[in-house]
Amino acid sequence: MKEIVMKRRNFLKGILATSFTLASAASVLTPLTALAKVGAKKRDDWLTTGSHFGAFKVKRKNGVIDQVKPFDLDKYPTDMINGVKGLVYNPSRIRYPMVRLDFLLKGHKSDTTQRGDFRFVRVTWDQALTLFKQSLDEVQTNYGPSGLHAGQTGWRATGQLHSSTSHMQRAVAMHGNFVKKIGDYSTGAGQTILPYVLGSTEVYAQGTSWPLILDNAKTIILWANDPYKNLQVGWNAETHESYEYLAQLKEKVKQGKIRVISIDPVASKTQDYLGCEKIYVNPQTDVALMLAIAYELYSNNLHDQKFIDGYSLGFDRFVPYLTGESDGIAKTPEWAEKITSVPVDVIKDLAKTMVAGRTQFLMGWCIQRQQHGEQPYWMAAVLATMVGQIGLPGGGISYGHHYSSIGVPSSGAAAPGAFPRNLDEGQKPIFDSKDFKGASSTIPVARWIDAILEPGKVIDANGAKVTYPDIKMMIFSGNNPWNHHQDRNRMKEAFHKLECVVSIDINWTATCRFSDIVLPACTTMERNDIDIYGSYANRGLLAMQKMVEPLFDSLSDYEIFTRFARILGKEKEYTRGMTELDWLKKLYSECKTANDGKFVMPEFEQFWQDGYVHFGEGKPWTRHADFRDDPEINPLGTPSGLIEIFSRKIERYQYDDCKGHPTWMEKSERSHGGPGSDKHPIWMQSCHPDKRLHSQMCESKEYRQTYAVQDREPVYLNPEDAKKRGIKNGDVVRVFNDRGQLLAGAVVSKNFPKGVIRIHEGAWYGPVGDDGSITGGAKVGALCSYGDPNTLTQDIGSSKLAQACSAYTCLVDYEKFRGKLPQVTSFQGPLEIGA
Amino acid sequence: MSQVNQETAQGISEEREARAVVYNFLSSLFAKEVTSDLVAQLTSAQGQSFLNSLALEPSLTGSIEGIKAKFAKLNSEESLLELAADFCGLFLVDGRASVSPYAGQYVSAKKSAEPSVETGSRSKKDKIQIFGELHQKMTEFLTDNKLQIHSDFPEPGDHIAVILAYIAHLCVTAEPKEQGHFIKCYLMTWLSDFTQQVNEHDHGLFYSYVADLTLAWLNVDTEFLPNN
Amino acid sequence: MKWFKNLWQTLNKPAKYLTLGSISLTAFIMGVIFWGGFNTAIQATNTEEFCIGCHSMESKPYQELQKTVHWSNHSGVRATCPDCHVPHSWGRKIARKMEASSDVWGWFFKTVNTDEKFESKRLEMASREWGRFDRDDSLACKNCHNYDSMKWEDMSKLAQKQMKRAAEKDQSCVDCHKGIAHILPDMGTARAPELIAEVGTGPSKFDAGQDYFTALTKPLFFSSNGDVEAGTLNVATKVKVLESKDNRVKVAINGWRKKMGAGRVIYLEFGINMLTAQLTKDAARAEGVINGFEEKEDDMTGLKWQRVETELWTDAEYLITEQQPLWDYARDTFRSSCSVCHTQPDEAHFDANTWPGMFQGMIAFVNMDQDTQALVQKYLQQHSSTFVKEKH
Repeated sequence: MKEIVMKRRNFLKGILATSFTLASAASVLTPLTALAKVGAKKRDDWLTTGSHFGAFKVKRKNGVIDQVKPFDLDKYPTDMINGVKGLVYNPSRIRYPMVRLDFLLKGHKSDTTQRGDFRFVRVTWDQALTLFKQSLDEVQTNYGPSGLHAGQTGWRATGQLHSSTSHMQRAVAMHGNFVKKIGDYSTGAGQTILPYVLGSTEVYAQGTSWPLILDNAKTIILWANDPYKNLQVGWNAETHESYEYLAQLKEKVKQGKIRVISIDPVASKTQDYLGCEKIYVNPQTDVALMLAIAYELYSNNLHDQKFIDGYSLGFDRFVPYLTGESDGIAKTPEWAEKITSVPVDVIKDLAKTMVAGRTQFLMGWCIQRQQHGEQPYWMAAVLATMVGQIGLPGGGISYGHHYSSIGVPSSGAAAPGAFPRNLDEGQKPIFDSKDFKGASSTIPVARWIDAILEPGKVIDANGAKVTYPDIKMMIFSGNNPWNHHQDRNRMKEAFHKLECVVSIDINWTATCRFSDIVLPACTTMERNDIDIYGSYANRGLLAMQKMVEPLFDSLSDYEIFTRFARILGKEKEYTRGMTELDWLKKLYSECKTANDGKFVMPEFEQFWQDGYVHFGEGKPWTRHADFRDDPEINPLGTPSGLIEIFSRKIERYQYDDCKGHPTWMEKSERSHGGPGSDKHPIWMQSCHPDKRLHSQMCESKEYRQTYAVQDREPVYLNPEDAKKRGIKNGDVVRVFNDRGQLLAGAVVSKNFPKGVIRIHEGAWYGPVGDDGSITGGAKVGALCSYGDPNTLTQDIGSSKLAQACSAYTCLVDYEKFRGKLPQVTSFQGPLEIGA
Repeated sequence: MSQVNQETAQGISEEREARAVVYNFLSSLFAKEVTSDLVAQLTSAQGQSFLNSLALEPSLTGSIEGIKAKFAKLNSEESLLELAADFCGLFLVDGRASVSPYAGQYVSAKKSAEPSVETGSRSKKDKIQIFGELHQKMTEFLTDNKLQIHSDFPEPGDHIAVILAYIAHLCVTAEPKEQGHFIKCYLMTWLSDFTQQVNEHDHGLFYSYVADLTLAWLNVDTEFLPNN
Repeated sequence: MKWFKNLWQTLNKPAKYLTLGSISLTAFIMGVIFWGGFNTAIQATNTEEFCIGCHSMESKPYQELQKTVHWSNHSGVRATCPDCHVPHSWGRKIARKMEASSDVWGWFFKTVNTDEKFESKRLEMASREWGRFDRDDSLACKNCHNYDSMKWEDMSKLAQKQMKRAAEKDQSCVDCHKGIAHILPDMGTARAPELIAEVGTGPSKFDAGQDYFTALTKPLFFSSNGDVEAGTLNVATKVKVLESKDNRVKVAINGWRKKMGAGRVIYLEFGINMLTAQLTKDAARAEGVINGFEEKEDDMTGLKWQRVETELWTDAEYLITEQQPLWDYARDTFRSSCSVCHTQPDEAHFDANTWPGMFQGMIAFVNMDQDTQALVQKYLQQHSSTFVKEKH
């Protein structure tokens, strides 16, 4: 025994004797210095913050977020706040700035075919930002501004100061000019067609207040609209006040005081909640149904001719189409029944109901996210015009009551501004060229993949010609196009053509994995900010108090781009010489000044201590009432100032897929007997998720486990269809078409009719090899292991007018998955190529 | 105090220091990428003799020889970057081919404190939130010992490099019994699982040798600690 | 943009941003020795203690001052009550002391001895002080802040533009810098104060036959002295002044109207929905108010339009000589307000008749008063693809 001890002693002595060389290896530990500065609040008090999911309070323990509870004023909090901790302490946080190894070695000549499946190395912030700048230099030098697209932006995290897109675009604009987008993925067709028809984008406009709807409406038509699901999240910190009104509506439905009729292929969450009437319509056939209702109104003289004459233009040019005089097809209920599967009697009854009393149309956004998505929105406006109640409380049409609490009366207070997105007056970029080489500097939002694949191609868009720029570099910040864009495999091909992709985010999204330079931003919990409480309600001002220091090497958006501006030699121009706190005070005091004399706001310090300023309740308001009152003085923003049932302006464009009046047109793919349904008979609905904000929150594991099926995104299946395919609840299903394939977890539900499935968008993309192996995910055609529906969707424009995304024009089929179940790869960092 | 006792005391102190050196050495290899400075140091004559002295212990010989061989090939910027990419893919991201350096991803704090209940191992797909209970626990240990994690190393307290560095600290400050207890509860509960995963995913082999070396060293070292 | 506000912010910021070099420390020497004993007595009243002893300031203006850069800054020079509120020339000083006695009376009769009463009198008291600053060209400010020694290169481009313009005219500082030492009073119904601060209120005298531009949406009247409104004249509209009388001017308004309803809305050009004026129904129907000329059908809508002219009266204010400052202000407002949520579209991305629809669909998210909204919409239309032909 003693011998062993001696041997060990000698062994250790030998180590010690030779160990001086390691003196320079610094320990990761260091003597404890003074504790972190104690802020105005005690460390363990409840602090306030906000998010798209609502406002909430947070309690910390030893510098780590411990408990989360809803904000006191939120009477209808969403359980999504239970996922917040999982966003912050996600194992898949981007911990350090990283660069794809081959890009680091070969720069713009790197092998891009393995994007999405490659090795990264850690670099310092200085190295990463310098590389970023050098890439910009290279692109601006070699290609000019048309080589750079930094305009693809998304839902960011809330907060007026750190809003990620503002920072990225201001900083990049200091370097040079770049390609930008117009429109967005949510309402692309709607926001383009409605200015021609109702003189406003409508989709983001404040709508008639709920109290007026509840007091005056006799019938509410929910057309492809699921407010109960979608009102959980908002553009700013969501107040969830709409739920109070939905509760009142539920009561009125129960008492028989208001009829709510939901027209939808599926039984929505709202239908289940309200217990309202349901009318099934075949997917993508809403225009045919609307035309038949219009036909019924017109042929029975139920329409309001006086309103049409006084407030609209072009009805006379629409009627020949309705009656079939112009195309030989009368848009009768009988005609529509064959297309829509809505029985003739139901159509006739709908027409009568709409004019029997005050009828409020509440349109959802889904039906404009499809091919010819302009048409249902235009035709619904025509229907509402024929009913003649636009501008009356509880009547007319709204395109937004499911969004960010539109319809909650606004307090009328001024909201805070934001960190500037643009360069300040007089500032010039380093590369000031505005030579886009004959290409367009602005392209429709959903057409960027087209542009990468076919530079120089000329397309029609909204009355103009767009020439695709030759994009070589893209920058994404707080934005995950590998969720929201359509057709993953097409995206892969496009990304092979990009020389450099930069992503800034909090966790490793698929967009980050397909990037070359990946930069870690901290979450909203790790920085100070302010936000409006309620986008449309403007209920108050919310302090977003820093809970914990930025994790790992992450930085706030402000700090990231301040450092970047420093590398450009423009730090002072960028920050205006102000700190984060200076900016918060500035945004606050400007808001205070704007509200001076109208809303009492304390000094900044008091506000920060309290965490909140309340602006009080708002007054009810009716959309378009002023127009109805005096259309001459309060004209709509249409060319005529009136509702345009027929648009000469659109007619002049001579588009075959968007004519002078609303038109029923067959789709490139349509279920229930439509084109392509013989091969892939199922329509896939990829609507906004119930348990996320788009793709935000999907990575929060503990929360995801409350709804995932065998770790996969749920796919909602019709019982008969499922049975025919030998699938039962909880099985893993392979969903496929010629564009791609994915795995998802079966949830069999009577809410989904035959020929229809639903997979919520926002399910993170996680490709694996064809055989389910962990390699091969970079290949075109790879299987998505988690269930991202955009693996299957079509990447086509809605029409030559809007060129909006058409995610809802998508046919698929599905089968029980019988192979070896691959591990889900969606919620991970970069994947390493096999040895 | 007799001269013999003095010699013994000095010997014990030297032993402790020597062990601390090894723990710190292992900690530094898990803390960050291998730099050209480290390569220069370890391939120098002095560095080689340090490694050779470790290799005298038979159970460490294999991994030390492996490390030496790898170091000999680290002679270009590119080879260092390849190794850095190995490090990044293994320890800096969470991926299907990664190995979590955080104790909390393998064992819960409760299981750590009562290792006898079960092995406490967690399957890889059950990854939980980081900065969890074991991070809290380690932060408390460090604070009690008037220590904190260096600001250049913004990692949770249950990172393997922190745990190894903390053991190095215990080597020179704490009683062997305390050392043994800590190692048993907070490192040995998951180290072999960790090592196995590194071996599975590290195609470059360097970190497989480092993980093997760590596990082998712990096995050698803890033999002489009480509570084992 | 909003330079007034920004500047206000700048001056309220912690002092570290005002460098020693950017403040001219023109030393001021109080009192002039040979005024002897009388001067000594006056001098005694020139201390803070003296002021706040009687001036009921302890709770309000004095405390407000303490939060500003004029109290605490790294140059170490502090502006105290008399530095700003007592003139530095003796003649004015005496007069001022007499004037101040009304403050003492105010205190004596307890008109401002509570917060509420003070607040109710704040605007009145502030206006009196502003008037005084105006009269002596803000001499008290210029004792420290000198136009000649300003470091232009340290200022933003916008600040330079504004300050140089002011320097040329040796403008009174408080014209723009109100509310820098005490809280700005509630200015009540003042419309679009930032806009007016930038473009001004216009000349006091008008040349007949000259063109002017409206800086706000303005009421129109039938006569030079009647109260009966004939309609409103939209912001940024060009009118020709025909004559001046009392506080009004008679203006000639030209444009086009749609032949629908009462035909009381006048637009800038044929077929373009850019608002020039809206008349009341009575005005539109009254004989001889609107003179109609040729008619044309707008092919894009099928509506008939008619060229019209009218001559009506409006208040002799907010009529300015240049249109460009209005567009500059509107451009800055558009670029900052409309980029809060997304990248603002290029002005020339839409045509003049599309912009109202795009703009009105988004205004729920921006904070603009009615005048600013109308101005920004008109700016967008004026700079739309209808008028600006460049590829985008």
